[in-house]
Amino acid sequence: MNPDDLKYHKEHTWVKVSGRKATIGLTDYAQNALGDIVYIDLPEIDIDYEINSEIGEIESVKATSSIITPLSGRVIEVNEDLSESPEIINEDPYGKGWIAILEIEDKYELDDLMDVSEYDKYIEEEAK
Amino acid sequence: MKLAVLGAGPGGYVAAIKAAQMGAQVAIIEDSEVGGTCLNWGCIPTKSIAASVEILKKAKLSENFGIEIKGDVIPNLSKIIKRKNKVVEIQVKGIRNLFKSWGITLKEGRGMLISPREIEVTLKDGIKETIKADKIIIATGSRPSQFPAFPFDGNSIISSDDAVNLKYIPKSLLIIGAGIIGCEFANIYKELGSEVTILEMLPRALSTEDVEISEQLEKEFKKKKINLYTNVKIDRLEAGNDGVHAKLPDGKEIVAEKALVSTGRTFNSAGIGLETIGINKDNNGKIIVNENMETNVTGIYAVGDVIGGFMFAHVASREGIISAKNAMGYDEKINYNVVPVSIFTSPEIGSVGLREHQASEKGINIKTGYFQFRVLSKAHIMGEFTGFIKIVSEESSDRILGAHIIGPHATELIHEAALAIKNGLKISDLSETIHAHPTLSEGLMEAAEDVHGEAIHVFKK
Repeated sequence: MNPDDLKYHKEHTWVKVSGRKATIGLTDYAQNALGDIVYIDLPEIDIDYEINSEIGEIESVKATSSIITPLSGRVIEVNEDLSESPEIINEDPYGKGWIAILEIEDKYELDDLMDVSEYDKYIEEEAK
Repeated sequence: MKLAVLGAGPGGYVAAIKAAQMGAQVAIIEDSEVGGTCLNWGCIPTKSIAASVEILKKAKLSENFGIEIKGDVIPNLSKIIKRKNKVVEIQVKGIRNLFKSWGITLKEGRGMLISPREIEVTLKDGIKETIKADKIIIATGSRPSQFPAFPFDGNSIISSDDAVNLKYIPKSLLIIGAGIIGCEFANIYKELGSEVTILEMLPRALSTEDVEISEQLEKEFKKKKINLYTNVKIDRLEAGNDGVHAKLPDGKEIVAEKALVSTGRTFNSAGIGLETIGINKDNNGKIIVNENMETNVTGIYAVGDVIGGFMFAHVASREGIISAKNAMGYDEKINYNVVPVSIFTSPEIGSVGLREHQASEKGINIKTGYFQFRVLSKAHIMGEFTGFIKIVSEESSDRILGAHIIGPHATELIHEAALAIKNGLKISDLSETIHAHPTLSEGLMEAAEDVHGEAIHVFKK
């Protein structure tokens, strides 16, 4: 079950906004599709990223894929635990498996993201 | 026919054996160790140490394979070096025995050309002896380049020759130059526990390889926490009490216990009498030869590192064979179109033929095929699934022009592609050949299939 207090991006990342801070991570659907994650190249701190740009890379036993940011902003924190144990993303994608915290300028971009019911529908379509 | 060969490295000793097989009376002169740089300070020692490192790596991963090791897994460098010495010794003996078997006379001493038909040898005991020959092959090799800014002291600022004989694992190692030698040592010492930093003047590591190969290797370095700085030129290294200091252009200073300078090699062409008989060299000291490996002086050939070019043992050996045949009256020309490169980083790299970026430079229209090791069951069986195989083919003819592999056993896998390119084979020749399952070689078949979008184990694009 995807949490209903998050916003979702079409490249299978989630966002949780609190004030000007946005925590982002990979969705359960994405971690499942990737399989066992063996390495994550985390975003760089203090770098400004544009929405829809690549902020890192994830390598699993099945594939390497880009991490696409669902919002524009500056990376202020990354989940260092993932460098040693990237499998945390598989175990707890919406909790301990968070990837980075961005400081966002405005919240307009949030409007274009999906809510949980839209995302559920989206992945159902994608799975067909 | 009397033949004298100056230098018993992979160029010289192979030339000597080839000529002896063809009936020549051969004398070979070596003032250091039989086997040259390759066997004593290069290919064989580094790969032997890398083999120990591989065992260490596997031991650390043993849990993943269901094998429990009680107690710590600790590398012991002196034992690793001792084993390396034994491997080298066996190979040196092997060459000496081959010399005996083919009736080749080995003269151990310093050789100097005194005429186009004579070499004066100063033997180890100081006695001088003159060897007369109808033809001469020069195979004196190369040595690590020494720069005034990075003076080797054998202790804190070291060359690759020193790096295969260290007494202990340095806490930190700074490597100048991200070429093949630098990258291989980075891998070895990082795995042994050193903090490793590499400085490279050019924009990427392994700058002569396909760009995607460099990118993948740089990613692997990042994963292993090997610090690589590219586009960095440093003016000098300074050895102090607390280690070697290197100042980067941005003011940052790197301090390491030892610094390995692997920025190139210098030709061993001085002090061997080339000037006396007027053999042409270029400004850097490289001996100039034609396609028959012959110098400007008739009957005198040169092969291997001392003539520059690829500076690989396997190329030296091929040049040695060509020179021996030509000395014996044949007219054979060297062909450098298909020269496989094997780089023993982790993962390994194997490449041959055209790199993708060279295609546009040469005006060739190409198609590429790409296949990731992680798709192969054998890669998962081995637990080594990082990397890819890339095949470059000519669009109009479908001929295979290049192959670039980074991944498990890439250094071995590359030879199937080398054979295909050497024989002008097409993509279909590779893709329609049944490859045994489960093997890594299946990857080459699938990469070939991918050229036409027909790889079986790839998702629909």
